[in-house]
Amino acid sequence: MEFGLIYELSTPRPFTRETQKAVYENAIAQVVVAEQMGFSSVWCVEHHFLEEYSHSSCPEMFLTAVARETSKIRVGFGIATCVPSFHHPIRWAEKAAFLDILSGGRVEFGTGRSSTWNELGGFDSVVDDTKKTWDEYIRVIPKMWMNERFGYQGQYHTMPERNVLPKPWQKPHPPMWVAVTTNGTELDAADRGMGALILSISDVERNVPRIAAYRERIKHCNPVGAFVNDQIAIANWMYCHPDGALAKQRGEELVSTFGYMAGQTVEVSEAYPASNYTALGLLGTLRADPTAPGDQKPISSGLCFGNPATIIDTCKRWEAAGADQLVFMIQAREHLPQADILESLRLFGREVMPHFSQQRRPRAVNG
Amino acid sequence: MSAIELLYGQRSGDTVGLNATTLDLSSRGEVSLPAVEIHYCLFELPMAHMLPRLPESLHPSIPAILGITVWRCSAGPLGPFSLAWIGLACRTGIKPRHFIHSAFCDNEEVGRWFKSRYGFPCQTALVHSLETYDRIHSRVELEGTPILDLETHRLQPLVGLGAMVKYSPPLNPARLENGVALVQMEATFEFMRVARGVPHAPTYAAAALGDDSLRPVYAVSGTFAVANIGLHPPRFSLSPRLPAEQGGAKKI
Repeated sequence: MEFGLIYELSTPRPFTRETQKAVYENAIAQVVVAEQMGFSSVWCVEHHFLEEYSHSSCPEMFLTAVARETSKIRVGFGIATCVPSFHHPIRWAEKAAFLDILSGGRVEFGTGRSSTWNELGGFDSVVDDTKKTWDEYIRVIPKMWMNERFGYQGQYHTMPERNVLPKPWQKPHPPMWVAVTTNGTELDAADRGMGALILSISDVERNVPRIAAYRERIKHCNPVGAFVNDQIAIANWMYCHPDGALAKQRGEELVSTFGYMAGQTVEVSEAYPASNYTALGLLGTLRADPTAPGDQKPISSGLCFGNPATIIDTCKRWEAAGADQLVFMIQAREHLPQADILESLRLFGREVMPHFSQQRRPRAVNG
Repeated sequence: MSAIELLYGQRSGDTVGLNATTLDLSSRGEVSLPAVEIHYCLFELPMAHMLPRLPESLHPSIPAILGITVWRCSAGPLGPFSLAWIGLACRTGIKPRHFIHSAFCDNEEVGRWFKSRYGFPCQTALVHSLETYDRIHSRVELEGTPILDLETHRLQPLVGLGAMVKYSPPLNPARLENGVALVQMEATFEFMRVARGVPHAPTYAAAALGDDSLRPVYAVSGTFAVANIGLHPPRFSLSPRLPAEQGGAKKI
């Protein structure tokens, strides 16, 4: 079992330049401490126009800054949006390869397609096509990395033969992932030989069947890249404190803060009915009963809030369920003081991590 | 450690529902409306226009969205009627709702029913909705003057699991025992047919439609659906002053 961090870079109002800078700098400082404590990865989302919830429009820049302050921790796109109005696939191939070189081969390339009207509407995207464009991107990007020259005629982009530069440090290329929020996307990941970055934060038990289904399905995959990345990372929350009750209370505050920020955004399914957005996305999973206005969703038993013993128990349950990594959100809208966050990371590193093997399970080499 | 300070509506709760009707809570049964034609269009509008109109207990949606709904019901226990309402997308806690600022019904008795059961500020008006091969067209005419023309073009059928629309429950000011509260209309939908297209409002008389400062600006989506609707009695009320997450929501 490995442990990582995932950043939304949520930012409190008012959006002053000082506040914005503090959010970025605090996050970088947290990653530096996390690396010292043995965390193995840091992921950064790509979001646009999501006020307070996520001011992380340029994850490659954050990850580059992190990479230059660290030496071992892997840097993951969580995710790179594969929608034409956001990015051309060539640009993702270039940016990921560039970062892979600057980081000495530490890139994890997560992919996805966005689930909010804020973003898809803001970029005037063709909402109905996002699954299709994602499928085209994930098949051509590895070829841009591996082939000296590459050209293709796709449904969404066409390019004459060009040498896409630079090529990544990792050979044959960085591991590829897909963000999983809705049920079934883990099977999309498995079919394509990609890692599943499961973002629908929920109980351990609810994820057991989807992890098992992923493991079974990926045995027969047709990988989009040169190798199969049969890894499952689960997004989670973490706040570790010797006083378990206090940790739980603070954890609930983080989740609640996150929920209210997320709740104000407009999911695609709320604004633009489409066959490729029928399930609730990440934000929808935060809404317990759609008809009751005031109730709070109970905190999931799979979240890592508590004293070290409690968190060890929770992480063991995730490990038994088949998760390879837990990637933690540790802050929301700067709700907790930076010193407390850093101390939580240190306590987790000192007292929780030694109970888990940090040996990475070897990835399957080919399909 | 900071408290949760999020974006709220800027309208004082004291100014909400001054002319609200008293809710009739005597009728607690479910009402089933068969094969209702639903024309539902969403538009973005400037946030600066929305926030002053939204009560202080509600969060806005981001971006700001104006929703226009037209129901055409040909049969059922209420008799035939057409009903239109306009509202602003908002949140009670983290849940999507539409805060309604105007409603029109072509059947005076049915309009009174929606007013007394759910607080809709119904005015009697001519409300038409018509599906043709090239568009859905809905119109509201008040005293002989068209105040709303709403069209959805380029309709594409939504099929399979996608044959559904997630309507945000409308929220109306209404008078209860303890004063004015916001009451939501809860409904279930059994969809028979759904299509999505591009909405357009060639006539939008903002003042006559309830608020001169609110106008549709940027088209989001227009849908047309035929659905069996189950209307449930109101279950919750929300203070126009105190947010749901601070205890402002109560069971009726």
